[in-house]
Amino acid sequence: MQHTVTFTHNDKRSSISVPTGTMLTEAAQLAGIEIGQPCGGQGRCGRCAVLVTEGDARRRSTLRLSRSDVDEGYALACQTVVEGDVSILVPPQEKIERRLTTDRVVAEVTVPVDYDYDQHQTIHRVYLELTPPSMEDQTDDWARLQTALRIQAGIPEVLCSLHLLQTLGKPLREGEWNVTAVVEKNLEFPERPVRLIEVFPGRVDDYSPIWGCAIDIGTTTVSLWLVDLVSGQVKAQVAEYNGQIARGEDVISRIIYSGKAGGEQEMRQRVLDTINGLLETACKRVKAKPEDVMKATIAGNSTMIHLLLGIPASSIRLSPFITAVNHPPVMIAKEVGINIHHEGRVDCLPGVASYVGADITAGVLSSGLETSENVSLFIDVGTNGEIVLGNRDWLVTCACSAGPAFEGAGVANGMRATQGAIEEVWINSDSLEPTYRVIGGGKPKGICGSGLIALLSEAFLTGVIDKAGNVNLMAATSRVREGAHGGEYVLVWGAESESGEDIVITRVDVDNLLRAKAAIYAGFSILADTVGVPLEMTDRVLVGGSFGKYINVEKAVQIGLLPDMDWSRFEFLGNTSVKGAYAALLDWRMRDRITEIAKRMTYVELSADNSFYDAFTSALFLPHTDMSRFPSVAEALAKSN
Amino acid sequence: MPIEIPKDKWPGSVKKVTLGATTAEGGTRSRSVTVGGQTTLPYLLFEAPTPNKPVVAIEIKSHKPDDWSPLLGEVWGDAMNDPAQWAKKAEEAGADIIVLALTLADSPEDAVKAVKSVLGATGLPLIVWGPGQAEKDNDLLVPIAEATKGEKIMLGICEDKNYRTIVATAMANGHVVQARTPMDVNLAKQLNILITDMGLPADRVIMDPTTGALGYGIEYGYSVMERLRLAALQGDGMTQLPMLVTPGFEAWKAKESKVGEGVPEAWGDWKARAIHWETLTAMALVESGADIIVLRHPESVKRVKDAVEELVAA
Repeated sequence: MQHTVTFTHNDKRSSISVPTGTMLTEAAQLAGIEIGQPCGGQGRCGRCAVLVTEGDARRRSTLRLSRSDVDEGYALACQTVVEGDVSILVPPQEKIERRLTTDRVVAEVTVPVDYDYDQHQTIHRVYLELTPPSMEDQTDDWARLQTALRIQAGIPEVLCSLHLLQTLGKPLREGEWNVTAVVEKNLEFPERPVRLIEVFPGRVDDYSPIWGCAIDIGTTTVSLWLVDLVSGQVKAQVAEYNGQIARGEDVISRIIYSGKAGGEQEMRQRVLDTINGLLETACKRVKAKPEDVMKATIAGNSTMIHLLLGIPASSIRLSPFITAVNHPPVMIAKEVGINIHHEGRVDCLPGVASYVGADITAGVLSSGLETSENVSLFIDVGTNGEIVLGNRDWLVTCACSAGPAFEGAGVANGMRATQGAIEEVWINSDSLEPTYRVIGGGKPKGICGSGLIALLSEAFLTGVIDKAGNVNLMAATSRVREGAHGGEYVLVWGAESESGEDIVITRVDVDNLLRAKAAIYAGFSILADTVGVPLEMTDRVLVGGSFGKYINVEKAVQIGLLPDMDWSRFEFLGNTSVKGAYAALLDWRMRDRITEIAKRMTYVELSADNSFYDAFTSALFLPHTDMSRFPSVAEALAKSN
Repeated sequence: MPIEIPKDKWPGSVKKVTLGATTAEGGTRSRSVTVGGQTTLPYLLFEAPTPNKPVVAIEIKSHKPDDWSPLLGEVWGDAMNDPAQWAKKAEEAGADIIVLALTLADSPEDAVKAVKSVLGATGLPLIVWGPGQAEKDNDLLVPIAEATKGEKIMLGICEDKNYRTIVATAMANGHVVQARTPMDVNLAKQLNILITDMGLPADRVIMDPTTGALGYGIEYGYSVMERLRLAALQGDGMTQLPMLVTPGFEAWKAKESKVGEGVPEAWGDWKARAIHWETLTAMALVESGADIIVLRHPESVKRVKDAVEELVAA
């Protein structure tokens, strides 16, 4: 029996007559409409979703579509059979991508709803109208300013540096004794006097920004957010690889290097160069200068903080693994070497132990884990994978060395999640041809963390690599070949890439990714075992990491990086460390909370027995040696075979 | 008062694997050898009898090895120059299976010839090992597998980086494969998954979990085998395979067996010590659940076989 299928695509209508049982994708092709099927028409990717506006069609599978999508009329063209006259709307691709249930986009940064600059910020501007000096009033400049601060701003005592005294006279006279003073309350000891940071001539607009910056010093990636402390808004977000990478990929090799002659100074300079470079870039974006930034709040793992401050870090590496300092006092930026305002202060957030630093305490704050009633799992997928399990009553944490693979480092064609990075990949299971999405939409330059996760998962599901990560050189495609380091898969031919070179994933890359995901999986599964909380009992799984703005949780499950559970329980938080630093930069109460969190966390040492190693080797497989832990992946595999 | 010994009942059991095919089974062997089938831990006879007792394989090489102990040269003599002769002597020494180890010097034609001559010389089932270099192994084992189609020989050695070709040819020609992993429960299981994922039934795979000689890490090998067997009995399908061990290879590498001079006098007679070393290594592995024991010295073969008889009869 013949049926009429009417397609609406780009506002054009076309009809075609097809027999019962025709797949919608076939009908579309006959009607001359291209519906993309990156996965090869297997119902895996959901990219061919269309809207059935009229008539009936039988949906064989609605995987990838939510219940409400189906209720609205959505169907997967490759899984839907024509059984009567139907009208189909083919929506634009971007619209589909937003609907897909497995993509987790990092939550937008919003100013905390209750942020009140007057109450919560420690830096303030005060406008003062000083009595001009005269023959009768012979008060000195400094006392005159102090008096104005006391009388007009209610500030009884104020501290001032020599540098400010040296330059004080100019703004007072330039502003004809009307000035705007910038003062900072003491973060650590609120009862102590405030500190004068700057004096501007005249009146500065109350709503003009006061700049502060939140910095996360990651082992692999350094992120910096430039924040307007008045409005609380993040005005620029920048990130760059940590300059120390050239001297070792993980914290241990960095510590060893810093122990060599001149090493400490070099490491310090390298990370300072990265930070100051980022500061410059961020300030340019908002047409400000680094000297305009009044405060920097820093999160980072304990080693990174030691290396930044030039404090010997060797004791972190050696038993009994003690840091020199878990919570450094607030320091003068100039002394630290960060090129913000010469009176600006640097606030390094508190860590817990050698391997649980301020990055994770800040992360816990921004994840909201410590306020929720239900037990949640927080996984920070970084070079040092840090994991926290708990709720408002208890928090346990552990750390495992995952390596930089998910940040795109240590991978042949890896890169950070910036313009030109491939962030999503599909491989057609029949032709083994890939489809990919590039950040910014131009020619691809490399593959970022989320792209690597997707690529690994697709290569695995389509048999390009086996469960141990071996590239299947017998696969029927010219994209698989013997490279310099064993088998490799060509994701992008040179003709289509930015550099003109092929973009590949090699056997070595796969091994690095496998080790990274195995370390993280082993970390949280052992942590859950240790406290006796089955993973399925956790209410939410909060994922942090520098993946860019997006991660496909289904694929992260398929490679065994995340536990196999209902996708709706995953939340992707992005870089939680810099978010925590941002919260602390804005609001002194948040800073106090981080200090509280640091005190509450119980650290579990994974290397105390053999169980970690055992869990690690069993996770060193796709998705895992124990397939019963990954029922959804078993199902996906059965389907693709 | 009578004491009742508590008995464990396990949900899982070890699969039976048969090596060699008789004429009736499509091969030319005078008998086949079946291993595996255990339903409880080794030799807990009050819980269950040992369905198939461990068997001994003797390792011979396609060319006379120049790195073997002179003690072995003494006992095998000129037979070492001819794999067929050597195999015959091994059968006389009590071998249940012959292991023919090929060398890098073998061409595919030489290798096929050597295999055929060994098959002609004895009626025992055969295990063939490539020289241990992925590419060379594949070059030699594929023509051998084809030339011996139906004989149900065991092809070795599959490792996680090189298993596809060997498994494919074993599937096509009705053979069994040996899956070797470096002393780790998870890795052993992973390789079994990779192999069976290709479509080879699990009852045509034998695990080689690797071990060390007495004094050279045998405890580690022992506990890995014990854990593999425990997992098998608990119902983990991908560990329910019989195990092959190579105490001959391991023990004859040890200084105690290899070196006759310049060692403390208290070490005693070299020959006696060397055979003890091989025998004790082998017996520890038998106790941990090994099914195929690959040995080198005929005296060790005799002792191990005697000891096994005692174990299964006790």
